[in-house]
Amino acid sequence: MEITVTVPALLRDCVGGHTTFTIAGATLDQALRQLRATYPLLRVHLFDEAEQLRPHVLIFYNAESIAWLERLDIPLQPGDRLDVLQAVSGG
Amino acid sequence: MANQVIVLVGTTKGAFFFHADERRREWRMTGPHLGGWEVYSLLGDNRHGPRIYAGTGHFVYGATVRVSEDFGTSWTQVEASPSYSKESGFALKRIWQIVPGHSSEPDTLYAGVEEAGLFVSRDRGTSWQEVTGLTQHPTRPGWAPGNGGLCLHTILIDPHNPRRMWVAMSAVGVFRTDDGGDSWKVCNLGLPEVPTGEPYPEIGRCVHKMVLDPQDSNTMYLQFHWGVFKSTDGADSWQPIEQGVPSTFGFPMAVTRAGELFVIPMQSDGERYMKEGHLRVYRSQNRGASWEISGSGLPEYPVYSGVLRDALAVDALEPAGVYFGTGMGELFYSRDSGERWEQIPAQLPRITSVKTWVLEA
Repeated sequence: MEITVTVPALLRDCVGGHTTFTIAGATLDQALRQLRATYPLLRVHLFDEAEQLRPHVLIFYNAESIAWLERLDIPLQPGDRLDVLQAVSGG
Repeated sequence: MANQVIVLVGTTKGAFFFHADERRREWRMTGPHLGGWEVYSLLGDNRHGPRIYAGTGHFVYGATVRVSEDFGTSWTQVEASPSYSKESGFALKRIWQIVPGHSSEPDTLYAGVEEAGLFVSRDRGTSWQEVTGLTQHPTRPGWAPGNGGLCLHTILIDPHNPRRMWVAMSAVGVFRTDDGGDSWKVCNLGLPEVPTGEPYPEIGRCVHKMVLDPQDSNTMYLQFHWGVFKSTDGADSWQPIEQGVPSTFGFPMAVTRAGELFVIPMQSDGERYMKEGHLRVYRSQNRGASWEISGSGLPEYPVYSGVLRDALAVDALEPAGVYFGTGMGELFYSRDSGERWEQIPAQLPRITSVKTWVLEA
């Protein structure tokens, strides 16, 4: 299964110049792991030294932030999306 | 062969490069480069062909080093940029400084970062390692951030000894190594202690910027939170040099190859804008024994912006060019060691760093 991923334009140089691309995986967890492995330049911008999601980075699986999902071993379905977003943090 | 001068300007929203020939009369801007990224450090490096290093960061996405080999047209992010280990417990928030290693080490670079630490690259910036001798110093638990963060903002290398270096950190002070970074000595004698609330009386010195005398590597100068100081013993001790400076508070400091010193005093630590609204650079032509207003040509209208610690630089030409950028994004320069000042016509984002680079055409 392939899942569509979008990233902010500021990070496009970390993923080969695109803001929309696909990642393969049978589950959401596998897709997230594949995202990190395929794009190590992106990883440092999304995750901190403790490998935690940076405080103002949001990753949405379809309409839900992955931070609020109880489990990540969700089987991927055709049409699923993974959107990397910057939290609106004032300004 | 004619020289080309490039002024590398980092801002909170990207970098801008200003090109001129060695007469430095007409400037051509390129940029914004790295638009959207905060650029706190820049280095133009000729040692293996022209290459620009940029310390880029973002309050959401963290900090990494990016490199350009075509004067900013394209950039490559360094995968193994400076990064603390998970076990260290430290977070890398900004890259404040990138400097070349000693002339005998042409593949070496150093980076000063926030949270305060020093990183070294021995492969032209491809990979970086933490200099743990510094971050494991016994005083490290007492390092407390100043208003600008817990930043290592100055790295100086003895031109006669690659194993002798100095670093300066805000609200911590000056440290020196004589063994290539394995061990570090606190060098704060004579600097006033600022209140940090930490039980380490030998640190807690708020050094804003430090420069090395171009002709004597035992002599250095620094702009402190409360004063301007000089050392003639390799930073073992410091003495105030404030004769003629209208305020003891300021951030940047620069020294030309001829030894002329420049500072830009501000009103006070509580009022961080130009002293009485006058944009004035102060110059010393006698190694800090006295200071005077540097030349003419700066705005006569009220100016209540500031100049950050790394936003003042000199070039390597004779007479020296002197350049500084303000918090309002204005860029001023002198091509005669501060006799006459002009503005480079541009209004940029807040200027965080100004560096110069002289290339043979």
